Amino acid sequence: MARTRVIVVRSARAWTSGGDPDPAVITRMFARGFALLDGGDDGRAAAAQLFRPDDRIGIKVNTIGGRAISTRPETALALAGWLASNGFPEKNLFVWDRTTRELKGAGYAPAAGRTGVRVFGTDADGLGYGPDLVSHLGVGSLFSKIQTELVTASISLAILKDHGMAGVTAGMKNYFGAIHNPNKYHDSGCDPAVAEVFDAPPIKSRHRLTILDALLVQFHKGPSYHAKWAARYGGLVFSPDPVAADAVGWAIIEKLRAAAGLPTLQDEGRAPVYLRTAAAMGLGQADAAQIETVEETVA
Amino acid sequence: MNRRSFFNRAAGAGLALGGGLPALGRRLAAAAAAPNLARVEARYYAKLPDREIECRLCPRLCRLGDKERGYCGVRENDGGTYYSLVYGKVCALNVDPIEKKPFFHVLPGTTAFSLATAGCNVNCKFCQNWEIAQVRPEQVEAYDLSPEAAAARAVSSGCPTIAYTYTEPTVYFEYMYDTAVQAKRRGVRSVVVTGGHINPEPLADLLAVVDAVKVDLKGFTETFYRQYVRGELKPVLETIRAVAKSKAWLEIVALVIPTLNDRPDTVREMCRWIRGEAGDKVPVHFTRFQPMYLVKNLPPTPVSTLEEARQIALEEGLRFVYVGNVPGHEGENTYCPGCGERVIARVGFQSEIVRLKKGQCAKCGTTIPGIWA
Repeated sequence: MARTRVIVVRSARAWTSGGDPDPAVITRMFARGFALLDGGDDGRAAAAQLFRPDDRIGIKVNTIGGRAISTRPETALALAGWLASNGFPEKNLFVWDRTTRELKGAGYAPAAGRTGVRVFGTDADGLGYGPDLVSHLGVGSLFSKIQTELVTASISLAILKDHGMAGVTAGMKNYFGAIHNPNKYHDSGCDPAVAEVFDAPPIKSRHRLTILDALLVQFHKGPSYHAKWAARYGGLVFSPDPVAADAVGWAIIEKLRAAAGLPTLQDEGRAPVYLRTAAAMGLGQADAAQIETVEETVA
Repeated sequence: MNRRSFFNRAAGAGLALGGGLPALGRRLAAAAAAPNLARVEARYYAKLPDREIECRLCPRLCRLGDKERGYCGVRENDGGTYYSLVYGKVCALNVDPIEKKPFFHVLPGTTAFSLATAGCNVNCKFCQNWEIAQVRPEQVEAYDLSPEAAAARAVSSGCPTIAYTYTEPTVYFEYMYDTAVQAKRRGVRSVVVTGGHINPEPLADLLAVVDAVKVDLKGFTETFYRQYVRGELKPVLETIRAVAKSKAWLEIVALVIPTLNDRPDTVREMCRWIRGEAGDKVPVHFTRFQPMYLVKNLPPTPVSTLEEARQIALEEGLRFVYVGNVPGHEGENTYCPGCGERVIARVGFQSEIVRLKKGQCAKCGTTIPGIWA
């Protein structure tokens, strides 16, 4: 059986000397990441396999950590820009999170016009949460209308962080921001809630691709920002397999922890066990031995 | 009662927070334009290194990093200081018959100034008020009502009590406590409707300022609490013990759900425990389940099941046992345990004192415990 491919694209120049992400470099990272998804040649073709030309593509970001440790606007807008230049109209691209306030706090400029890439929260005027509870496995939640009504395909563009309760927060847990009651799902290491929320029809039926923003990784004491334990990893992680992408994200966190002399998440009793649950539910591959990590560096 | 119905009732009483009840999604959008959040430092938490905190209000003991909220969704760590986001932010306000709480042995026939903020520290799959209990505060419209104003409004509304109800008042502990203190100064009593998930220290402090507590004993097995309540039974039992030992009046409600918590042997075990730990005089209400929230696949509780539970409780020596949510049922009435005479008649939320004088049966003189004046 073929191993699941996860692409890691890194650049030593992802951060400018001024301390900000470099959009031009990040755009090249996206281009290379999509190309590697297709085997290394044609990013446009890879994107065409993931999305229909008329798809309205949601780019779900995680902005709870404010400017310090969220999915960077430079990252999200570089992705939108790359998609727009590869056959997907800007008007069909939606960068979103649960509240416009949190998006602003992370440095995003809300945009809800009729043209261009749209940027707004579930709480934007006329949106909100769907009126009907989705009861799925152990989940009972209202889902954002952005996810259920506005978009037809979804990218989880998640910040990669250590998480005190879940162990790791990455692409799957990012969808907690698509439901109205994420606070109800943080006990027991967020297991099986992360997998069950992802498995709910509003998410699973639309999810196409996970991309982890690992430009800056909080590898300890997350999900809040602590400079002491945040590393400029300068990476983006790509996979259509949501479980494998997060498993590789976990491995990155463990490498950074080891380099800092920290115990493993397993040793701290906070391994992200929801990944095993997700794999058992058939959502993807959590076994490192069955994951092929393809890593490249972009200048 | 669901949010829609009590808002409608509130409108009739002139206490509505808004005209009618728009769909939750629309309300969320409206509320989000300018989220009406409080920022009052929480009580009962410990500051930890690295801007983390541990909430010690309820048995969950949420340990939270900066910018995280507890399970309740209404208390937030901001930079290592823990805040209540709902202090004085009332999302439900109504004048209810006190029988609706239900309190059957507290000032029957009077009204309770009933209020709630958003939030709950459990997640019952059968929640009756999930649209305000199982949401975050920015997802509902809130009305600013200080403790002083709440106490004054209770007086002007002719209510001898303030009821902290609808959601889980533990999560707005600071507001409830301060309101109870203000109410007491104005001669208004405070009654609490709770699921009982609260730690001993805040409970002891609360019991010093409130007059009555109704605890929902939602089942009698840890398995039920884990699966259907997302909580634990043990702390609820500890709460019942503590209230029973205090000067506050205690009543217990057991919602009976077909096939989930209606086994006669479990009901009997529960009744024995209540009698042993809280005494035979604590009123126990077996109330009828209606399909709601995430449990819509079960029928309403058969009245015969409630009657059987009541019979078991009486057999186990409990003296004041009621059937709830079945208007007109004889099990709504209070009967004198001495002579069997009906001393308080009830139909639904209406009650009439028929043979009770100064807390005693007018026929045989047996003391009927409660708060009667």
